[in-house]
Amino acid sequence: MAFNRHLFDRHARRKLVNYGFVGLTMAATAVAVIALLLILWSLVANGLGGISLHIFTMDQPPPEMPGGLRNAILGSLEMCAIGMVMAVVIGILAGTWLAEYGEGSKLAEVVRFLNDVLLSAPSILIGLFVYELLVRPLHGFSAGAGAVALAFVATPVVTRTTEDILRLQSNQLREAGMAMGAGKSYVIRAIIWRASRPGLVTGALLGFARISGETAPLLFTSLGNPDLSFALTQPMGALPTTIYQFALSAFDDWRALAWVGALLIAITVLAANIIGRALARGSHQS
Amino acid sequence: MNFDAKQADVGSVILPPPMEQRVLDVRGLNFFYGKHQALFGVDLPVARGKITALIGPSGCGKSTLLRTLNKIYDLYPGQHAEGQILFNGENLLNPREAVEDAPPAAGLAINGDNARLRARIGMVFQRPTPFPMSIYENIAFGVRLHRNVSRAQMDEIVETSLTRAALWDEVKDKLDKSGLSLSGGQQQRLCVARGIAVEPEVLLLDEPASALDPLSTAKLETALIELKQSFTIVIVTHNLQQAARISDYTGFMLMGKMVEFRPSGEAFVRPATAAMRDYVTGRYG
Repeated sequence: MAFNRHLFDRHARRKLVNYGFVGLTMAATAVAVIALLLILWSLVANGLGGISLHIFTMDQPPPEMPGGLRNAILGSLEMCAIGMVMAVVIGILAGTWLAEYGEGSKLAEVVRFLNDVLLSAPSILIGLFVYELLVRPLHGFSAGAGAVALAFVATPVVTRTTEDILRLQSNQLREAGMAMGAGKSYVIRAIIWRASRPGLVTGALLGFARISGETAPLLFTSLGNPDLSFALTQPMGALPTTIYQFALSAFDDWRALAWVGALLIAITVLAANIIGRALARGSHQS
Repeated sequence: MNFDAKQADVGSVILPPPMEQRVLDVRGLNFFYGKHQALFGVDLPVARGKITALIGPSGCGKSTLLRTLNKIYDLYPGQHAEGQILFNGENLLNPREAVEDAPPAAGLAINGDNARLRARIGMVFQRPTPFPMSIYENIAFGVRLHRNVSRAQMDEIVETSLTRAALWDEVKDKLDKSGLSLSGGQQQRLCVARGIAVEPEVLLLDEPASALDPLSTAKLETALIELKQSFTIVIVTHNLQQAARISDYTGFMLMGKMVEFRPSGEAFVRPATAAMRDYVTGRYG
């Protein structure tokens, strides 16, 4: 009897509910982490064996021939780099305008809303849009169109993070710069941007991580190219399009290469995150 | 100076420094945050080479008044000021207005140019705001905005400014380290050094010691008293002892009005208004 009363005592019940809740959150976290680990494990298990020097020195082969992914790796790097340059320039300037000059203006609200729409737009729509914008008028798939499509995907990410990061800087810091007699734009460039640099780099890396695995925008723009090409006016190979093509194929060699490509993308995204964090930490200490 | 206490209790008591000693002279200033009026016909005469302290309960308008003197409120579209802020022979709020009895012009016309104004009226904020760059660059930043100097001249300016702000000995071996690596008290003195490196005539301080421990506060106060030799200082403070310790003139504000303005010695020993007496003895705010 005494034992029962103790069990249903309100404090004991509260404690139980608390344990139950903590248990639920831990279980949910475990599910998420296990799913992530399984993905990484399957990438490593299937991709690691295929990694060799050939992957980086040979272009993608015809079926049942030896080959690598050189054309796709370099194509991805080129298009991502060009896309990121466009996205960083536009995104940082747009985010700066939203955070520093758009205060309370209707136009800024509209821009912010549209940016959020673009941020969550299915990337295949962006691919189709750039197809209509560049591929059809110029009568051909091209790496340039691919880079533009990737820029469209990354720009809203960079814009959003830039605005958020700049808003974190205290108004007192802005006032301190102005109180020295500096103009507003100089304060932004010389003080606010500098104070926000780790965050801005992180934003750019987030954008890069987002586009390095994008397939849909490239299917309608750069198409893919089994040969090595650096020309912006020609179709260009890229890791995601090659994975898409090889993974669905009936050839074991191609499927093995697709796993290697997927592993490379995962490593790139992981490295981008680690470098971003290291940079952010480093600049805090300096 | 004899006060009729009863008479003084009703209105305000203003005992300004003589006209010819004033470097800044605020007259009948009204200030608005949007539609909300925060200052009502405030007068503030600032004597050259003295420390003027502004005290009063939170929300009385002392920081607002300070922020009009270098027009930093300009940043925010909803805020505006009316009346006269006389400096350098002109009304900062209306450069084209002809003012006859303004403090004399000592330099180039300001003419509504905020950069020129802020080169001559510097400001230090409540929380330390070092720029995200090296200690050396923090000082050089403002200097470069206003004139061209050689590397050797800049080295000298950096050393002099840091010495005058009583920080040189603590940082002379790490000028290339980030200003953010300093302690709070050191950061605040860095901000003072940065402010005086531009050689302004007036230095405004908005509760500069409120985030500092007593030892850092003492160092800052020592630096300010030294600086009085070369600069005019206006300081907003919540700390009455601080105001009494370092200031030559004290302005007591209440609900957007200047209630009492007198030499600090007299003001703290024998407040002329009931409001200030209550405040100083801890019965108000």
